[in-house]
Amino acid sequence: MQSFFRFLYELIGTPQPPADTPVYRQIVFPNIGLLNLGISLALVIIFYYLINRAMGVATFNKLRHWTLFLVLNALIAFIVVVWQAKAQQVTDHSYIYWLATLNAVYGLLFYFLFSVILRKGSTNASTTPF
Amino acid sequence: MQRSLFSQLRPGLLAAALLLTGCYSREDLKSDAGGNKAAETTEASENKVPAAASATDAEPSSVVAATGPLQQANIFLEVSGSMEGFMPKTGADAQNTRFQQHVAQFLSDVNRSGSVQRKTFYRIKEKPYRDSYQQLETTVREGIREPASSTSIPAILDTLVSHYYQPNAVSVLISDFIYAPRNAGAVPYIKTDITDALNAAGRSGLAVSVYGYTSDFKGAFYPAMKTAAKRINRCCDTDIPYYVWVIGPADAVRRFDAALLKKAPGEQAHFGVKYLAPVSSLLNKFQNQGSWYYGEKDASKRAAGASYHTVAVSEVSAQQPVEFVLGMNLQTLPTLYQDLGYLKANLQLTGQDTDAKIVSVFEATDQTRASSGPEAQYTHFVKIRVTKMGKAARPLQVILQDKRPMWITQWTTKNDSNINQVGAKTFALSSLIDGVAAVTTDEQDQAPIFQIPLTLQPAD
Repeated sequence: MQSFFRFLYELIGTPQPPADTPVYRQIVFPNIGLLNLGISLALVIIFYYLINRAMGVATFNKLRHWTLFLVLNALIAFIVVVWQAKAQQVTDHSYIYWLATLNAVYGLLFYFLFSVILRKGSTNASTTPF
Repeated sequence: MQRSLFSQLRPGLLAAALLLTGCYSREDLKSDAGGNKAAETTEASENKVPAAASATDAEPSSVVAATGPLQQANIFLEVSGSMEGFMPKTGADAQNTRFQQHVAQFLSDVNRSGSVQRKTFYRIKEKPYRDSYQQLETTVREGIREPASSTSIPAILDTLVSHYYQPNAVSVLISDFIYAPRNAGAVPYIKTDITDALNAAGRSGLAVSVYGYTSDFKGAFYPAMKTAAKRINRCCDTDIPYYVWVIGPADAVRRFDAALLKKAPGEQAHFGVKYLAPVSSLLNKFQNQGSWYYGEKDASKRAAGASYHTVAVSEVSAQQPVEFVLGMNLQTLPTLYQDLGYLKANLQLTGQDTDAKIVSVFEATDQTRASSGPEAQYTHFVKIRVTKMGKAARPLQVILQDKRPMWITQWTTKNDSNINQVGAKTFALSSLIDGVAAVTTDEQDQAPIFQIPLTLQPAD
């Protein structure tokens, strides 16, 4: 698990400053990775199963609604990194924001993948985004 | 409708819950540590640097010993004629010497100390005579009543190691240590005489700490070399050195030194005393440079008081050197080994396949002490620079060599017959010390004061 997230997040280079490498690899990467997966999945479930099925809302199934959730998810993924960096007391460095941006991109990706997999179960939005 | 919906939702929610609880935090790692520790330690001992690992394990256990107070300290004051000048009878001018002030204070400190259970005091004439603390203190303050004719240093040392050597006890000898051999031809044998005297009882683990002081001197001076005169009356215009030797088992000497002579002014040298390796750690956010991080597996925990000794280097070259600082707490060592000059001269770094070298050695400053970082715990720092290293993990050792301090040669004279010109020096002091060193140290393999094993490894 650690090595998977390490691979994922070190595509943009090793953590900076180097002294914090063990904290990033052993704590920050798994935390933000798992949170990102979990939150993306949660938002997909809320969009397809809660709003567009259980609640039966008929006016929230367009591409722009789906995109709203997509952007929201990316934003959360960005904030999660900044929050984790503070919580684990790593040294302030521009790297934190690069990592946050990368995590937001992964957030977009995870949200899209979960959408493709789970949209069929929705009654009102089974054809969103396409 | 509703119910069936929920049953369909359930797998997804479960998966989300599982993912969220899977997050790591420091607390988790800490509580895990207990379980993982056993596995980690076995792994570490099988790891790449068995030599370094076993050194750390073995070092403290060989020095570890009883805590609590020492059982006994025997304090011996030489009261031969040559010592009269240090302890002149108080005249009308009521002046006293620095020797009197210092030794009176030292005796009082010993007598009051809770670090030693039993304190016994002796005057040394031709043999030791038991005195009470008050009697000896009076002798120091008011001068020697009936000076002994002369006592030879080897004979005294022989007596001390033969009759007063006990585990957990020390003998403390206060004397001018002027050893006059029978004739000039015997001078080259001074070292041997001392060695034989200390070795007489065949004590293993014998250690000696030597403290050197100087004092004004008011009386007859008896030089060891009697070429000019047998005695110099109304001496001296110069200060005369005197010494406190602490003799006993290595562990007892170390503890006596730490308890009672820690803040001793004057000079010092230690022979055969063994010290615990000081508390030390690499510091990853203190004057660090280049791409490196703690190579320990549990480095992310950063528990309070944790120490790190592995450097994982991700990138190093002549253009991008790696610099790291090792913090050490040398407070438990004698002041000699805390002295920056001594450390700079005698701290060494040994490694393999690397050009690692010590760039600087420095002491804690108000700034480091007030820091919230781990550097606040350390009294001394060693900065090491690397531009080249091996392809796998290699041991790197910071070693403090045991080097005889300079003052011993500076305080030595070959001829004290004209002491006022020679100055504050002692006849053949370095030969006496040679004799001590021969007994207490293994000449084949001189043990360092301490060594701190580090590991230098490429980042994984």
